[in-house]
Amino acid sequence: MLDPVILAQILWTGIATSAPYVLMTVGFALTLKVTGLWNFAQAGLMAIAFYTMFFVLNFLALPVLVALAAAAALTGLASLLIEIHGLQVLRDRGSGNLTFFIFTLILSEFIIYVITLLFGTEPETLFKSILSPVTIVGNVAVSDWDELAVMVASGGLILLYGFLTWTREGQFLNAVADNARLAELYGISAKRAWRVVSVIAALFIVAAMYLIGTHGGVVPNSPLELILTAVIGTLLGGIGRVFAAAAAAVFLGLIQSFSILVIDSRWQNLLLYGVLFVTILLFPRGVRLPRFRLSLAGR
Amino acid sequence: MEYLATIGVLIAIYVILSSSYNLVIGYGGLSTVAHPIFFAIGAYTAGLLAIHSSLPAPCNVLLGGVAAMIASVLLAASALRVSGDYLLIASLGFQLGLLQLIKNLDFTGGPGGLTAIPGTVTGAARTPFFLVVSGLLAVATVVGIRAIVNGPYGRAITAMRDEELAFTALGRDATSMKIVIFAIGCGIAGIAGGVYAYYFQYISPDQFEVLQSAAILTMVVLGGMGTTFGPVVGAILLLAIPQAITFLNLPPGIMAPTQGIIFTVLVLAFLFLRPAGIVGLARKTL
Repeated sequence: MLDPVILAQILWTGIATSAPYVLMTVGFALTLKVTGLWNFAQAGLMAIAFYTMFFVLNFLALPVLVALAAAAALTGLASLLIEIHGLQVLRDRGSGNLTFFIFTLILSEFIIYVITLLFGTEPETLFKSILSPVTIVGNVAVSDWDELAVMVASGGLILLYGFLTWTREGQFLNAVADNARLAELYGISAKRAWRVVSVIAALFIVAAMYLIGTHGGVVPNSPLELILTAVIGTLLGGIGRVFAAAAAAVFLGLIQSFSILVIDSRWQNLLLYGVLFVTILLFPRGVRLPRFRLSLAGR
Repeated sequence: MEYLATIGVLIAIYVILSSSYNLVIGYGGLSTVAHPIFFAIGAYTAGLLAIHSSLPAPCNVLLGGVAAMIASVLLAASALRVSGDYLLIASLGFQLGLLQLIKNLDFTGGPGGLTAIPGTVTGAARTPFFLVVSGLLAVATVVGIRAIVNGPYGRAITAMRDEELAFTALGRDATSMKIVIFAIGCGIAGIAGGVYAYYFQYISPDQFEVLQSAAILTMVVLGGMGTTFGPVVGAILLLAIPQAITFLNLPPGIMAPTQGIIFTVLVLAFLFLRPAGIVGLARKTL
């Protein structure tokens, strides 16, 4: 019989560890929802975000806020440039999905090679030490990093929900996601929506890479594996369902955490691929939980 | 001379790989990046059979192709059930997942790779022998694919790729055709993997990573996607350029990313400036 404290600890650690995955997945799923593109260039943006922060913190020795601002500016700019001078050009040309895929994947690889050339292949962390002070809450160890990760992910999700629901710009994104041509007939610029979503995705990526870089080592190739988590989360949540994708990312984090009870740690990474195939085989349109509604008297 | 012959063997193997990939992605219009993993399946199957069985080498190479073909059918049948986009995602996951598996299994040699694959031919005749065999296989692949795409089945493939809805409306089964194309292309890649394993006598998971996907994709895009001789031109050019860089004597830490940058810049440049590739452009000009 497993100790409930151990289970609670694994549950908490799983939730906290999934926070960066949630942020990445939301950025990826939102882009897919609005633009209809599997944007693998986000792997390159992850690399830009992390190594910008790494450079500012370790080479320029500037404060964290400056590093975050620099990463947000550079990643946002790169994302915007990719949208305007890459994806839009291909759209105007009427390119097929395959061309978009080749462009985004190869661009990511190009960025990763450039970063490899500049920074090498050794794992790097944003700070010299990744140890984080721990507080015991009801026998469960909660680190400062855990708290930060959960707060950033929850805050990001709340802000995004508010933006998409209550701002005109957010509602325009939903309109373009539903039907870009129809939205244009109503005077909503699809191009603007695609640019806005590219910047939002970049901000989520920066937040995710900050959390990842303060929790463990990153190598230039890491984003290519990280993006797969975002892809699996997006598929599992169902295409077009951004917040369900976020929930799926938490589920993936929990699966990985609880797997230590049954399988060797070296097989943990393989679990993700297993989930990917199960998703494609059994839940190609995502997992849809039954909706529970309160039946109100008199309705 | 030995060095040049080895480059010749490599070029022949990559002509087979890029031509078979072109069949899948260029003619079939199937979005996949996992071609190197079918190359790996062929290489590991042939390598393991060479070590643990007494079957003749050609048989092991063919079995490598069959193993790759079976794996490709399983992948395509499950992914294409949903949509073409899923094949892309599934293929990426399949490649990374299977590489993880190979790295963690003991009998595949783990991350260190499979060593001491027995050689079929020894002595001075070894490299010329492999040059002839791989060269003949490359010619057979190019001629075979040309025969497929120029025949009635090839016209059906083109129709399926260009107008799938109309193709299906005529009563043809697009999914089956896609699976067949995918299986043929991946099976050929598996055979190339078997030849690679026998020639180099050492294979490791690193040789089949995403870098390989980029390299093969570059060969196809650069030469001309959907053209018979495009991948041939692409393979020759892309293997010649790194050899030229080798003469610069750069440290390995700089050499590998530099090659990667050259590959990716070429793909991006051709994608935007010359989407038809070298051969496609020449054909258009004519």
